[in-house]
Parts: sequence; C-alpha cells; structure tokens
Amino acid sequence: MKNNKKQSAAPSANNSRKHLAAKIYKYRGFYLMFLPVFVFAVIFFYLPMIGIRYAFTDYNGIKDPTFTGLANFEKMFSMPNFWSAFFNTLQISIIRLFLTVAVAVIVSIFLNEIANIHFKKVVQTIIYLPHFMSWVVTASVFSLILAPTSQGLVNSFLVQLGVVSADNMIYFLGDNKWWRFAFYLIGIWKETGWQTVIFMATLSGINTELYEAASIDGAGRWGKMRYITFPALANTILTVLILNLAKVMNLFESAFVLQNDAVLGTANVLETYIYYQTFNSGAIPNYGYTTAVGLFKSAIGCVLVLFCNWLSKKVREGRGIV
Amino acid sequence: MKKKVVSLLLVAAMVASMGCGSSNNGGTSNAGTSDAGTNSGADAATTESNEGGDAAATDTASDVEKPEEISIMVDGTVFTKENAQDEFIAKLEELTGIKFTVTQPDHDAYYDVVGQTIASGEWPDVMILSSTYYAGYAEQGVLWDMTEAYENSELKQRQDAFGSTGVIDGVRIDGKLYGMPSARGNGCVTYVKKAWLDNCGLEAPTNYEEYLAMLEAFTTGDPDGDSTNGNTYGVSAAGFIGTEAPYTNYLPEFYQDAHPSFYLAEDGTWKDGFTEDAMKEALQRMADAYAKGVIDPTTLTNGTKDCRDKYYGDEFGVFTYWAGTWQTNLETNLEANGKDSELVALAPIAEVGQYLDRVPPVWAITSQCENPEGVFKYFIEAMQDGGDVQFLFTYGVEDVHWSTKAETIFEGEENEKVYADGEFHGCENLETPGTQYTKAHIDPMLALVELANDPKDESLPESTKNSAALFNENCVAADLVPTTDAMSEYNGDLTTLKNELVANVVMGKSTIEEAYARYESEHGAEWSQAIVDSLNQ
Repeated sequence: MKNNKKQSAAPSANNSRKHLAAKIYKYRGFYLMFLPVFVFAVIFFYLPMIGIRYAFTDYNGIKDPTFTGLANFEKMFSMPNFWSAFFNTLQISIIRLFLTVAVAVIVSIFLNEIANIHFKKVVQTIIYLPHFMSWVVTASVFSLILAPTSQGLVNSFLVQLGVVSADNMIYFLGDNKWWRFAFYLIGIWKETGWQTVIFMATLSGINTELYEAASIDGAGRWGKMRYITFPALANTILTVLILNLAKVMNLFESAFVLQNDAVLGTANVLETYIYYQTFNSGAIPNYGYTTAVGLFKSAIGCVLVLFCNWLSKKVREGRGIV
Repeated sequence: MKKKVVSLLLVAAMVASMGCGSSNNGGTSNAGTSDAGTNSGADAATTESNEGGDAAATDTASDVEKPEEISIMVDGTVFTKENAQDEFIAKLEELTGIKFTVTQPDHDAYYDVVGQTIASGEWPDVMILSSTYYAGYAEQGVLWDMTEAYENSELKQRQDAFGSTGVIDGVRIDGKLYGMPSARGNGCVTYVKKAWLDNCGLEAPTNYEEYLAMLEAFTTGDPDGDSTNGNTYGVSAAGFIGTEAPYTNYLPEFYQDAHPSFYLAEDGTWKDGFTEDAMKEALQRMADAYAKGVIDPTTLTNGTKDCRDKYYGDEFGVFTYWAGTWQTNLETNLEANGKDSELVALAPIAEVGQYLDRVPPVWAITSQCENPEGVFKYFIEAMQDGGDVQFLFTYGVEDVHWSTKAETIFEGEENEKVYADGEFHGCENLETPGTQYTKAHIDPMLALVELANDPKDESLPESTKNSAALFNENCVAADLVPTTDAMSEYNGDLTTLKNELVANVVMGKSTIEEAYARYESEHGAEWSQAIVDSLNQ
C-alpha cells in the first residue's frame, strides 16, 4: 500500500515541476521584466545584510573583525543613553504621527469645505510647500522664529501679550520642557500639507449624492461631516496610521537638526545616538557596536511591521500591508 | 711620443674632473638657493646621478625611485573641480613629472568616505587626515611611518630653519611621524569692534575683569550708537563648547586654563580636565555671564554662520574666530552691511595666556603605498620645497587663481579693485564670482617653510597679516590626543554627557554640584577613568 503511495507521489511531483516550468515559460515575458527588480533587490537590499555579522564583532573598519558574541548587545543594554534614545524614539515618533495625521484630517475637511475652487487650490499649494523645504533650512528658520530674544517672533508676540517678560523668554529649542512641543509643532507645519493629499483624494471620491440626500433629509454641515465625511475617511486614517507606524524607528534628520546639547535627554533618538557614537568618540569608532544598535532598531522595526500587518488584516478585511 | 700621450691623458683627466666638480656644485647650489624649489625632485635626481657624491642625503636619495603615478584623496581644502582643479593638477604634474589621480569627496562628507575607503581595503597612496583620524589610523597601522625619511630629508632642514620644528613635533605619535602637515593648524583670536570700544569709552581688555566689564558695557549700553540701550549682546559663539579639540576655541576668555577633555599634564601623564577645579571655575564664569545676559542667549543653538551673520548685523560686539584671513573677511562683510568695520584683534588676556593652535591636518602616506619613500620625497617633500611646487600649493595656477596682469575685479556692483600690470593679485573666484582667491591649499601666513618670492606682503591685506602675526606670537600647540580602544568604546557617550552638563550649568538649569553628581551617577567618571588609564598605559 505504502509502495503504491510512493509510486503515485513521484509522478505527481514530476507533473507539478513540469507544470511550474510550463507556467514560467508561458509567462516568461513577465519573469523577464521582473528580473531587473530581482537583481536590484538582491544587490541593494539583501547582500548588504551580510554586514549584520559585524554586530557580533569588534570592528573598526581596518583590521579584520574579531568575534565577540553578544558583547556589543550586552554593552548596548547596559548604556543609559541607549535606553533613553530608544524610548525617546518611540515616544517622539508615535506622538508626532498621531498629531500630524489628526491635523491633516482636520485641515483636509476644512479644505474640502472650501467652495471656491481657485482659492482651494491656492491654499493647498501653500500648505504643500513646507514639505519640500529641507530640514536644515526648516531648522534655521524656526531657530530664528523661536529664539529667546527680541528677534524671535514667537517670544516677541508672547511678550506683547504679557505671557512672558522680556527678561524671561522661553527658549523653545533649548529647554527640555519645551523642545518636544516645538518639535511636534514644526513637524505639523512641515508635513501636514503633504499628508492632506491622501485624505483629499478620499474626500473627492465620496459620492456627492450622499451629501445631496443628507441635505434633503435636513442635515446641516456638521451633520454631513459627522455622518458622511468622517465614516468615509475612517478607513484611510487607519491605513495611514498603520503604514506609518511601521516606520516609527526611522527618525534622524528632523531630530538631528533641531536638537542641541541642552536637550539631548529628551531629543536624542536611536539614529542620532548611532551618529554620536560614530563621530563623537574622537577615535576610530567600533562599527560593531553601532551595527548592533542598528540591528536592534531594525529588529524592532520588523516587529512593528509584522504587528501592523496583523492589525491591517484585522481592520482592512484581510488586506495586510506586506 | 710617450710624453705627448701622457700629457694628453693628464689633460683629459683634468677636464673630466673639472666637469664632475662643476656638475656637483651645480646640484648643491641649486638645492641651497631659492631656485631649488623649481622641480626640486628633478634637481635631486640630477644630483643622485653624479658619481662620487659624498653627502649621506645624496646616498639615501639615490635609492629612492621616483613614482610614476600617485593616488591622492583630498578634502575641500584643495581646489575643487569648480575651482579649476584640473588646471591645478596639470600644473602639479608638469612640475613634479608625476601623474596624479585625485579623489575628492564632498568636503562635509569627507571623513565618511575616508572611513568607507579604508574599510574597503583599497587605499589611496596619500590622504589628508585631521588629527583624530590621523592618530586613529596611525594606531591601527594604516599609515606609513615617515620618521626616517623625514629625519634625513631637506624638508626637515627647511622647516627647522623656518622655526616650524614645534609644529612637526606636535604631530609625532610616540616620537614617530605618520603624516606631514603642510601648514600650522591655526586657531582663533578674539575680535572686538573698535567703534563699540570707542562708543563705550573703553580700551581693549587685558584681563578677565576688564573683559567682563567690556561685555557688560556692550550689553547694557549703546555700543552700536543706535540710541537704544540694551539691544546688543557682549559675546556670542557657536555653542558653549566646541565640537572638536581643543573644544575651548570659541570662548577662551571663559575657559582660561580649563580642559574639558583629555590633555597631557606637565608631569607627562594624561588627565581628563573635566572634573578639575579649573573646569568648574570656567563653568561658573560662563553661568554667571549668561545669567547677566552678556552672552548671546541663542549661543546654544547657534552655528558658526549664525554667529557671523549676527556679527555683521551688529547684534554683538566680541567674536572669537579664526586668525588671519578671517579678520579681513569679517571686516569686509561688516562694511558690506554698512557697519563700522574696524576690528581689534585682542592679544590673549592675562588669564588665558596663550591661544591654542589646533593640531594641523596632515598629508599621510598609507601603508599600502608601494613606493612610500618615493612618494615622500617627490610629493610630500616637494609640496614644501620653498619654490614652485609650494607656490602652486599656496596660490594656485597663474592666470587661473592668481595673476600679475592688469585687470579690474568687481566685488559687488560698487566695489571695484584695479590692479596694475605686474601687481600680484588673486583672480576672481570661479565658483563665487565677485570674490577673489586669497590662497590655495597652504595659507601663506601659516606656512612651515619659507616660500621664495612670496608675494604675501603685497597681496595680503594688513588686517590678515596682523591678525595672523598676533596669533602666531601668542599661541601654544594643542595636544594631539592618541586614540585607544577605551576611547572608541566610551568617549561618544562621555562627550555627549559632558556637553549636556556644560549646557545645563551655563543656562542655569542645574548647579555645578548637581551636574557633577549626575556625571558620577551616569558613569561619566567611570568612562573617563577607563580612557585615562588606557592613555597612560
């Protein structure tokens, strides 16, 4: 009986292989088109992963790496600055994400309510523009606007209002209490416009007959927003949140250009921590250690992607993000 | 007949010996005169070919093969492509008879690329390295030990004769040389606006008390004469602590004798000055001054460009910045902004004693170079030959970077500079029209070897020369800190912690006692001790 099963399984496997080969041949054009992407992915995404091995070595880029096992990870977990940077990354990224999406939704709804199409386009263009400014320029501009001197626009305004005195202005970018607030505000200013693109697209897809029907039923503006616009946006909001949640560990440029010595306790994130480890040591850095930190960051990022994929399937009826 | 033959032979021998003698004399005299710079390598080769030379240097030179090609990796201190690098290299090749392959990454990313290049295992023959990378790579065996070649070279004689021995000693690591600076490291001088001093009825300060009084007058009075008191600051800087050794460059009057990082003590041991009383006193001085408002409140977030712009806008009066060319740049920009432009370069106040001359970048030969002796002799040494090659590295290419032809150069729409025929001057900058070239790679005021026929006296503005002279007379070389494994492991975190504590104390966010308690509790003292121990091993 068993022999019979084996005999029948072998031809089946052969058939399957032949079938696959036939399929590949049939769709050879597609496979040929896929080939450059495959080669690109292997060369630029997978081969560099070989560098992960340095996380388990002492390596200064000159002599051959020395295998040290988990020593770099032990050091990493014992460093207070690492943990501070890790938790800062999570907090700053997640709060910024929620704030930016929330503001983008509100702005999108307001934009959608603008009846004059030309005015609407002008407003949209104006709020998109900051997205195209480099973070370096943005930091310079806001350093000036938020400066604790009479040259600082915000502080001058606060002094005029009597909120602060001229001798005791707020150093938004130089004070641990205020830095994150300023960071979120700048992030919102820079990225809200761009984020509205996707929400505006969703809003423009809402059937206008729904609004007409609601009007006939006696719904006002708020009612239409509450019962038509918000529900239509809900799925998009969730999608945007989930997709961006997977990327929260990637935070460097914005934090780097806005932080300074006085606020490192609240502003230092994992990628800036790696930067300081590499360039602040006054010596040839141990790339093994910085690779270990990078690997840990990637591992957390990977977990977040998987979590978001799971969450996405739950929320979007089986559609994951990967 | 026999007599005739003998006499003919004797005459022939005499003529031959005279010929040899004159040839030897020619070689020696060339090396010793200012013309030696003209293809010094070629001259040396001529000397080598002469039989019977008795100088040891000549014997050594005869063993050195001239390289046909040299690969060099340089930062933005060498002319970029936009600034006619091709013409510069072509001239260098013409003068040395060597082909050069140049790799020049973006200046800001230079050390990223250097690190990647070293890690790749494909090293250039020669590269420019800052003190940190120089010490680190020397330690790791990346760099060729040029001590012996240097000690037997004419370059050493030229540098010693020009009083540059101390600069070279400053880049020795355990007595060995792995790189050759082409100029002094330079440092910062404190500039004060002359009009502000006059408006406040003050003389240039000579001690800390006077310095502080000047800052207070600049902060509370009306030094800029706009009829408003208290709308200016005394001093500003790009951060309370520098980002590279010696860290105290931008606020020397407050730091005085303090060392925020590692330094070589008089007893020959390495110490971390951060926990010493001198550093605590420096922090107290800065905290007091900041609380009084005499330090620009935005110092923490300032970059150097921010400081310069504020200085040009008359927002503050005292600025410690690079010696030499920068005094002229500052004055030019003040004038362009319609401000009183005269600056007083301060001699170091009594408590500072001397300004710090930073460790200069070096040209280093890598240990992968196949003919390091040849590269040293025909390139590194030629770069400071006192003649044509050094001239090229100092001023660039004739009629590209400098000229003696009559011409008019416009700096802006109104400011024109007219040069007569035969008058040496920098050509208009190719990358930034409206400005002129003032130097190539070697700053003429910082040269380590005397340059024959140096036109700096006629070409450089008085303010540049005076500022550089003041600095050179009042500076001491900063220590070259070796690198260790402990430093690689801990100094990144340690520096971050120190910088944070300095900022917090100065801005009044914590007291000195609280800061140092945090330094202890967050492993600062432990890391510091590990590094000090490794340095003293």
